[in-house]
Amino acid sequence: MKSKEPSGAGILIAVEGLDGSGKSTQAHLLVQWLRALGAPVHHTEWNSSPMVKSATKEGKKNQRLVPETFHYIHAADFADRWERQIQPLLAVGGVVICDRYKFTAMARDGARGINKERIEMTYSFARDPDLTLYFEVDPEVSLSRIMKGRPNLKYYESGMDMGWTDDPIESYKKLQGRMREIYGKIADSGRMVKIDSNLGIAEIQKNVRKIISDSIDLSNVTLIEADDRRAEIHHYDDSTRMRYISPEGYTVLRHGVDED
Amino acid sequence: MKISGRLIVLEGPDGVGRTSHARLLSQRLEAQGVATANFGLARSALISEHIEANSGQLHNFGPRTRALLYATDMWDQVVHHIQPALDAGFVVVADRFSFTPIIRESVRGTSKDWLNGLYASAPDPDIVIVLDAGPRRILHRVIYTDGIAELKGYESGMDLGHSNIPTVSFIHYQKLLRNKFKQLAKENSFPIVSTKGTFEYTHEEIWKHVEPVVTDLIVKSTS
Repeated sequence: MKSKEPSGAGILIAVEGLDGSGKSTQAHLLVQWLRALGAPVHHTEWNSSPMVKSATKEGKKNQRLVPETFHYIHAADFADRWERQIQPLLAVGGVVICDRYKFTAMARDGARGINKERIEMTYSFARDPDLTLYFEVDPEVSLSRIMKGRPNLKYYESGMDMGWTDDPIESYKKLQGRMREIYGKIADSGRMVKIDSNLGIAEIQKNVRKIISDSIDLSNVTLIEADDRRAEIHHYDDSTRMRYISPEGYTVLRHGVDED
Repeated sequence: MKISGRLIVLEGPDGVGRTSHARLLSQRLEAQGVATANFGLARSALISEHIEANSGQLHNFGPRTRALLYATDMWDQVVHHIQPALDAGFVVVADRFSFTPIIRESVRGTSKDWLNGLYASAPDPDIVIVLDAGPRRILHRVIYTDGIAELKGYESGMDLGHSNIPTVSFIHYQKLLRNKFKQLAKENSFPIVSTKGTFEYTHEEIWKHVEPVVTDLIVKSTS
């Protein structure tokens, strides 16, 4: 028997990748595409729960976070977004795009020595997405993208909390190397689909849309009717964030919150 | 890492007398030459301010977020405060530990295995004493000390939807918690101490359980 109520399954898509892999830019373009199609879509970024984020920021500023608390506080942030944003929209059959998902925790916390099973357990309430895109990029490319965008690397971003070395860049490379290894294993296990992110933005987006069209059935999504979209579009115009694509082809003004 | 100190945990619901007894226990230990450190929920430097400043908001969080925030809070204290104190030979008196956050969320339907997992590698207490009192007695204490207006939504379990009347909800909620605490004590052979009698009597009952655990640390009188 067919119910008129939404199926409740919803569609959950996540983007993953190292810093500078271009995933946030691609996620943004993906959201715009789905919105243009009229899908009820929500975009949520790692470390962006209003209250939890402020505590995380404090902990980072004071360099108080250790691997365990780094793990739990980011999980709290995710859980808050899961309970208030992701699950509610999925429950009514909407589309949720997550810029970073639990695989980020596996990579970051795993690189910091937290046991894989522990991480899986903490995040066990959140199912695997219907599709997770892993933006794979050469280390030199991601590093140059990151270094161009900002003057210096932050303490936790570069893994200085691990005390591996006094050199932030060396530390950053070590952390990224460990994360790359973990990401690679997850992708190889079939939980993420690799996307070559060394290409230009438009080319990558073309591939993203192709993979989504091929693997995700959007026909079950109840589209928002054109007339009902007007208020939304108006509202969106007010909140559109400034973005600038540099000649080198990457976003300079990052719209993501990402790692501090 | 060898633990040379001791971890003593007092557990039980709000209003059972836990905090007062934890304080007196610390004083008695220190009077006998035993250095103590304290632990309490939502006291970490990392997020206690955020929890306090947003306590209304905290209780509006979903159960998983709340559980993870309490876990973060506990781990921050364990890493920066409890473990170093234990390593240095202190007796840590914990005014609640992982058990309250687990019980509070498990009566709200969050998976017990998941909750237990958050605390799985926390330091093992040397003793856990469960303080117990009847729901109505606890309600009377709350009314007498804080006043009935202080019966808050979350502490009264209003979110469980049993009753719109705070006192009725409170008694129902306390019954659920009490059963969980009793079950916890039974499963782990934790002693239960009733706080029904006088404060001094209850303290002595608690001390009977604590003394054997700390006996080698007590500075014996030389007289």
